Amino acid sequence: MVETKKNEFRKRDLFYLVPLWLLSLIAPDPYLYHKKEFKKKDLFYLGAIGLAPLIWSDPHFHHLMVLAGIYAILSLGLSLFMGYAGQISLGHAAFFGIGAYTTAILTTRYGVPIFLAFWASAASAAAIASFIGRPILKLKGYFLALATLGFGEIFLVVLRESTDLTGGVIGIFGIPWFSVMGFIFDTYLKQYYLTWGVLVGLFVFSKNLVRSKVGRALLAVAASEDAASSVGINVPRIKLEIFILSAAYAGLAGSLFACVMSIANPEAFSLGLTVLIVMMVILGGMGNLYGPIAGAILLTWLTDILSRYQEYSLPAYGMILILLLIFFPDGIGTRLNVRVIYLIGYWAKKKKRDEGKL
Amino acid sequence: MSTWTYIPQLLSSGITIGAIYALVALGFVTIARASQIINFAQGEFVMLGGVITFFFLKVMNLPYPLAAFIAILIVILIGFVMHLSVVYPLRKASIVILLMATLGASIFLSSTSGLLFGTLPKTLPPFSGERPLQLLGVSVLPQSVWVLISTLILLIFLYLLSHRTLLGKAMEASSTDPLGADLLGISRNLMVFLAFGVSAGVGAFAGILITPVFFTSYSSGTLLGLKGFIAAVLGGWGKNSGAILGGFVLGIVESLSLAFIPAGYKDAIAFGILLLILHFRPKGILGSPFMDSRRW
Repeated sequence: MVETKKNEFRKRDLFYLVPLWLLSLIAPDPYLYHKKEFKKKDLFYLGAIGLAPLIWSDPHFHHLMVLAGIYAILSLGLSLFMGYAGQISLGHAAFFGIGAYTTAILTTRYGVPIFLAFWASAASAAAIASFIGRPILKLKGYFLALATLGFGEIFLVVLRESTDLTGGVIGIFGIPWFSVMGFIFDTYLKQYYLTWGVLVGLFVFSKNLVRSKVGRALLAVAASEDAASSVGINVPRIKLEIFILSAAYAGLAGSLFACVMSIANPEAFSLGLTVLIVMMVILGGMGNLYGPIAGAILLTWLTDILSRYQEYSLPAYGMILILLLIFFPDGIGTRLNVRVIYLIGYWAKKKKRDEGKL
Repeated sequence: MSTWTYIPQLLSSGITIGAIYALVALGFVTIARASQIINFAQGEFVMLGGVITFFFLKVMNLPYPLAAFIAILIVILIGFVMHLSVVYPLRKASIVILLMATLGASIFLSSTSGLLFGTLPKTLPPFSGERPLQLLGVSVLPQSVWVLISTLILLIFLYLLSHRTLLGKAMEASSTDPLGADLLGISRNLMVFLAFGVSAGVGAFAGILITPVFFTSYSSGTLLGLKGFIAAVLGGWGKNSGAILGGFVLGIVESLSLAFIPAGYKDAIAFGILLLILHFRPKGILGSPFMDSRRW
């Protein structure tokens, strides 16, 4: 009895194999990226980021990419905490909000220069993270998720109720544009270069961090906390440190968000934002720094398209989230890369197999 | 002085809302006992129970019991569909993925309900009469009595289901020892499927009970679900008795807190309790059979 082979190569595979192969030329490969820290592809990305707004000189596109850049900073920090250290946080929307409100309060009430308020946002988010991190990070799994979610909800309630400080439900208006030494970032194009410049700086920092001793320790913690502590890693300490760092990223992102929107109100930092940024990290692929940025661009673009359909946008959004999770649980890039490598390998060996045994 | 006179009144409303939290918590525990999965869309079942009953009662003009019955059946069906379409395909995925998928389902259910049934808050007529009863100097809504009695009946039913039937034993076995359950020929997927049905039914029942007392709108499910989960953790995660105790404790504490702090901070109380209990006694008041288990 002759069995038919399941994975036989078919000509119609070429229809998706060729585009995927082209995609793999520019897409970062999480598995084959260990030779040098920065490759020529990174220069290509940098050039693409620099030129993209000049090629598509459409204000709406610029605005969308500014938002995507801010979310990318946020999910880059979250990716360090979730992807590398293997923890769960549903509270990063709160750190984002802390950053935004710090900037808003300092600039509108106390007239602090925005450049100082920018760093103060990161500092305040980090300070609050270090305060709540110690008790919360003892937890694991669902309980960690629930505790961080609880922190986010408490933050929202405080925002809504302490009207004197935060302006309650209405929020704070009139936050000035970002400016450095008299240069004001007042158009979407300038803001694009601001956010993506900050993002590139943080990306280089993170890239170096994850290849340092700290990054290795994080991967060890994610794999097994017991094993990590047995080789001399101070597990609670390193978890706390990475939690604080990712909160500081979120604070910076929040500060930029407040400058770009020139308004801070509680609705922007609710559970919906948390779901969005965690999805960005998941879709980008856990434990991969390029992923969250790609995920941020993809989901910002998706939510923008969906928002055109008014009341149908949220049901469609929920359904798309579920479908993406079912079909790409390891992230979109990872699944595509694995498939491409597999098919190319299959194709390369096919000729040998035909000549040899069959 | 005047604060203390409100206490008995607040206590009675705390017990009412506590019964609802207990039911929501039981929904979580039912699923967790069968599969160690947490369904963040549990609150949406509660919301759907109230909203669908309202639809059949006011729009289709069906009699009250029939409308409630149909609503419960529909929500159970939604629970089954949710298991088949969301949880079953992801049964081998990690915690984060499952968490996000159930949150996605929660977004989908609440916004679809807003789309189909309108976004205005809805209320149902009480089961019997609106005139408050006077018990020991405290005026109690008849609906509160109904809530307590119905909760009690449902609790007895769930207790019998989980401790006195082969089905309940099989559900528990599939959670505590998956391999052992497989060897005994218990279909784990079927158990989770049934647990989703039971949990959706309990949730819908809670929704019908609560809608005459508090308004139910399409977006009120999420917070109710979270508080139910907090109640389950507070009492002892994975125990039916823990869920009931946690529900009542949470409801009463939250209600009594109204006497001492501004009403807007009420929602922060539950989460504050959560952070405290997770820090000092993550097992919950009654202890949890799952705490040494694999997933947490």
